[in-house]
Amino acid sequence: MHKYTRATWFVVLLVVLSLVACACGDDTVTTTAGAEATTTTAAVTTTEAPTTTEPQPVTIEWWHIEVSDPGLSLWQDVADEYMAAHPWVTINITVQENEAFKTALATNMQAGDVPDLFQSWGGGALREQVDAGLVQDITDLAAPWVDQISPGALTMMMIDGKLYGAPWDLGLVGIWYNKTLFADAGVEAPIATWEDLLADVQTFQDAGITPISLAEGDKWPGMFWYAELALRIGGADVMEAAAVNQNFDDPAFLTAGEELAALVALDPFQAGFLATPWDTPDGSAAVLANGNAAMLLMGQWAPGTMRSNGPDLAASGELGWFSFPAYEGGAGASTDAFGGGNGFAVGNDAPPETVDFLGYISSVDVATRIGETGARLPVVIGSEDSVTDPDLAAVLAGMSQATYFQLYLDQAYPPAVGAAVNDAVALLFANAGTPQDVVDAVNAAWAGE
Amino acid sequence: MTTIRTLTRPEVRTPSTTKKWPIVMGFLAPALLLYFVFVLWPIIQAMHYSVYHWNGLEPLTDFVGFNNFTKAFGDPVFRSALYHNFIILGLSLALQLPFALFLAVMLDQNLKGRALMRMLFFAPYVLSEVVTAVVWRQIFRPSGAIDAVISGVSSHDFQGLWLANPKIVLYSLFFVITWKYFGFHMMIMLAGLQQIPDELQEAAAIDGASSWQAFRCITLPLLAPAIRVSVFLSMIGSIQLFDVVWVLTGGGPINASNTMATYMYDWGFERHHIGYANAVSVIVFGLSLLVALAYQRWALRRDVEGSLTAMGA
Amino acid sequence: MVDDVVDLATRPTQLPGSGRRFEIRSAVARGFLYLVALVVLATIILPVLYVILGGFRSTPQLASDPLGLPHPWLFSNYRAVLGLGSFWRQVWNSTLIAMITVGLVLPAASLAAFVLSRFRFKAREGIYTLFTFGLLFPVTVAILPLFIVVRQLHLINSPLGVALPQAAFALPLSIIILRPFFASIPGDFEEAAMLDGAGPLRFYWSILLPLSRPVMATITVLTIVTSWNAFLLPLVVLNKSVQHTLPLGVTNFSSQYTTDTAKVLAFTALSMIPALLFYVIAERQIVKGLAGGAIKG
Repeated sequence: MHKYTRATWFVVLLVVLSLVACACGDDTVTTTAGAEATTTTAAVTTTEAPTTTEPQPVTIEWWHIEVSDPGLSLWQDVADEYMAAHPWVTINITVQENEAFKTALATNMQAGDVPDLFQSWGGGALREQVDAGLVQDITDLAAPWVDQISPGALTMMMIDGKLYGAPWDLGLVGIWYNKTLFADAGVEAPIATWEDLLADVQTFQDAGITPISLAEGDKWPGMFWYAELALRIGGADVMEAAAVNQNFDDPAFLTAGEELAALVALDPFQAGFLATPWDTPDGSAAVLANGNAAMLLMGQWAPGTMRSNGPDLAASGELGWFSFPAYEGGAGASTDAFGGGNGFAVGNDAPPETVDFLGYISSVDVATRIGETGARLPVVIGSEDSVTDPDLAAVLAGMSQATYFQLYLDQAYPPAVGAAVNDAVALLFANAGTPQDVVDAVNAAWAGE
Repeated sequence: MTTIRTLTRPEVRTPSTTKKWPIVMGFLAPALLLYFVFVLWPIIQAMHYSVYHWNGLEPLTDFVGFNNFTKAFGDPVFRSALYHNFIILGLSLALQLPFALFLAVMLDQNLKGRALMRMLFFAPYVLSEVVTAVVWRQIFRPSGAIDAVISGVSSHDFQGLWLANPKIVLYSLFFVITWKYFGFHMMIMLAGLQQIPDELQEAAAIDGASSWQAFRCITLPLLAPAIRVSVFLSMIGSIQLFDVVWVLTGGGPINASNTMATYMYDWGFERHHIGYANAVSVIVFGLSLLVALAYQRWALRRDVEGSLTAMGA
Repeated sequence: MVDDVVDLATRPTQLPGSGRRFEIRSAVARGFLYLVALVVLATIILPVLYVILGGFRSTPQLASDPLGLPHPWLFSNYRAVLGLGSFWRQVWNSTLIAMITVGLVLPAASLAAFVLSRFRFKAREGIYTLFTFGLLFPVTVAILPLFIVVRQLHLINSPLGVALPQAAFALPLSIIILRPFFASIPGDFEEAAMLDGAGPLRFYWSILLPLSRPVMATITVLTIVTSWNAFLLPLVVLNKSVQHTLPLGVTNFSSQYTTDTAKVLAFTALSMIPALLFYVIAERQIVKGLAGGAIKG
C-alpha cells in the first residue's frame, strides 16, 4: 500500500538525518580569514610540551568577544600568524557577543568544560574561577614574557599574587566632552571640582544644552558615576577596605550616593536615559557624537563606539577628555584611577602552547596593532606610541601616573554584589531609591555570598 | 453514519491482561525514556540544587535548606516580578482572550478574505522571539516608527518612552505579547467554533432565538472546551514568560518589566547563584502546578474523567 | 471497510463559516467587523513590512526618517546577508534540528498517546499526569541540569544535543493533543481490525495513524515552529558558530552590526522568511488538526 512506502521513506529519512546529525557533531570548516568566525579541523590535543623535534599536534580553544572589526580581523590575523610560525598548533576561535559569551562560558564552566583561552575582565569573576580551580596559574610559564607588560596592568589578572592570564587593554574612566558645546555654553574644561560640575550643569541647561549623556539602560554607566564619587570622596584606603571587609559601611559611600542624588535632582540627562543603551545608533555614545549632549563619563573605548554610531567627533577635533573632577574635602587624589579593561584568562586544562600564544599577544608588535585600532589602550611597555589620538594619549598618561587603581565595581566584586551595586544605583537614578538603600543593598548582597 | 462517540473512551478488549503489558510498555518506552532523561531528571536535579547555596563552579556542599525560598519571597524584586506575572495573566484573560474570541467569531462569518485573514492573524506566532524583539524594539525606540507616526499626526515632536518609562514598559510588553500570541488563541477558538453542529444553530433559529441569544446559550457553552484550553495555556504561559521579555527589555528598566523567569535567569546566569535560581524555578513550577490543579478542580467539576477537555491532568 | 473509514475521516472538515453560526446580518455590524479586521491586519503587517522595507534603506536614512519608504532602493544589505555563508549554514542547522525533533516527537508521542488513550491499566492516569507536568516546567528553568545531562551524553555541539531535549519537552503538549483524538476513534474499528487478525501495532500503523493525519500535522507544525524559534537551548549547547541556528545568528548579527540597523533589519527580514513560508504551506493543516484534535468536543 502506498501508505507503507511513504512511511518507510519517512523512517529512512529520519535514520539518515540522525546519522548526518551525529556526523555533524564534529563538523569541520576550513579556515578563512575575514569577517566570519571560523573553526579549523580539530586535531588531538596533548598537554605535554614538545620534547622531541616532532612536536605533538596541539589545539587551543580560544573564546573572544570582538564580534566586529577591527577586533575581529585583528585577532584572526594574530591567530593565523601564530599558527604559521608554529605549524603543530591549531587555534580554534569561537566569537560570541558579550551576553551570549557570558552565558555559554557559565554553562560550560559549570559542567567543567573550560576553554583554553578566554575573555576575562579580572576581578571577582576571576576570583570565583580561581577558587573553583578552573583557571591555570601561569606565573611560572609566563615568566619569559611577563615583564613586557606594565606591572600596574598585570594586577588586573592577578589574584593573591598569582597570575592567571594577561591583560591586553586597560584604561581609566574619564569625562569625554564636546568642545563646541562647552564653548557655546561658556564652560571651561577641564572641570576641576564636583561642585563646579553641578554648577556647570545649570549653565548648560540655561544654554539649552543637555549636560550629560547617560546609558542607564545598561546600568553599568550609572555605576561609573557612583564609583568615581566614592573614590574621590573616600580615597584609595576606603575602597580597598570595602573590598576586604565586604561592606559599604564607610560614610564615604553614603555621601557618594547623596551627591549623586543631588546630580540626578538637577535632571541633567537626555530624555529616556533610564532605558538608553550604550552601543546602538540611538545609544548614549551616539547622543554625544551627534552633538546632543555635552559630557559623557566613559572608558577608553568611547571614541571607537562613538565613531561607529555617529559622526567622528575625535577626527574633527571636537572631542576632548579630562579626568573625573576632584571632591573638595575628599580623601581621594585626582590621580586615583577608576577603570578596567580586557584580558585573556587561561583555562586549567590548557596546553603550555596557550601561554606561549598569550606571550605573542603580549608582544610589542601585537600591542602596537591593538593601539592602532584607536579603540583600545595596549598595556605592553613600548607600545605607547601606537596611541596617536591626543585624548587617548591623555587617558594612557593618566593610567601610567595612577597612584591607585580601582576596577569597575561590577567586575571587582563577586557577580551578585556587582549586580546589586548596579541595580541599587539604577534605582537612585530613577528616584526610586535612597543613598542609604544603595549601602543596604550592597551589604545584603555581600552577606548573601 | 460514522458516529464519533465523545463521552466514553472505548477500550481495546484483549483476552488477558498479561498479554498487554509488553505492548503497553514497549509503546510507552521511547516517550518515557526521552521524557525521563531530558525533562524529569533535570527537574529533580533542579529541586536538589535549590536547597544549596551554590555558584555552579565549586562542589555542592553548602546546604541551606529552605533559605533560598524564604529569601526569594523576602526580596522585593522577586515579589514585584511575581506581581508582574499576575498582571500579565490578568490582562491576558481580560483582554487577550476575549479579543481572540471576538476575532474567531468574526472569522467564522462569511466575510470576504477570511482565509487570508486567518493566515495573517496567526503569522506573528510563527516568528521567533528574537525577531519579534528586534522588530518591536525598532518601532518602540525613542523617535522610532510609533513616535514618528504620532508626531506626524499631532504635529509636534512626540517621544513616547514606551520601553524607557518604568510605569508603562510592562504594558508595552503586554502589547507585544498579545501581538505575538493572539493568533494562536484565536485558532483554538476557531477550531472549537467549527465543531459546533449547524443543526443546533438552525434549531435555535427556528425556535425564534436572536443571534445574541443563540450565541450566549448555544455557541458559548459548546465553545467551553476550547476556551478552557486557551485559558489554561494562557495562564501557564503568563507564569513562565521569558523569551520575549528578556530579548525586548531584559526585565528593565529598573526591574519594571521583570518576570519570575527573567529574575531566575539573571540570578542564575549573571550573578552565579545557581542554587537560588533553581529555587526560583521550583517556585515557578510549583505555582504553575497550583494553578493547573486549582483550575482543573474548578473547571472540570462537572466533567467525567476530564474527557471533554484536552487537559486530562 | 478500512478504506471507507479512512476516506470518511480524512474528508476535509467543514469550511469555516459554511454552517451558520449566529450570523451577523446588519450591514453596519459587518462594516464594523471589516474595520476591526483592517486594524488588526495593519498592526500585524506594518511592523513586518517595516522590517522588510528597512532592509532596503541605509542606516542614516532610518535614523533620520523612520517612516520613509526606501528611496533609493538599496539592495546591498540584502545581498550582503544572502551572500553570507553563515546565514545559509544557520538556515540549514535550524532545518536539520527541526526535522530531527519532529522525527522523534511523532513516533514517541503517538505511541504513548495510543496506549494512554485506548488501553486500561493501573498506571495509566498516573503516567498521563506525569507527562502533563512537563508543560509546567519550561526549558529555560531546567537549563542548567539539562545542559549537564547533554554534556554527559557527549552531545555538546551536536544537533542531537538540541533535538533530543526539544523533543522531550514537546511530548507533553503533543500527548495532550493526541490523547482525546485517539480516544474518540470508535471501538468498532479496533474490533474490526481484531477480527481481521491485526494486533495493536497493526491497528496503530494502518488505521490510527492514517486517521490522525490532520492532528499529527498540527503537532508537526507546532513542533517545527517551537524548534525553529528556540533560543536558549541552542545557545548553551551549540558553542561553535558553525553549528549555530538562525535565532542565534540573528542575535549575533544584531550585536555584530549593532550600529548598522539597516543590515540588521535585512537579516531579520530574511530570517523570517523560512518560518513564514513554511507556515503558509502548513496553515491548512493547523486548522484541520486543531479542529480534529484538541477540541474534540
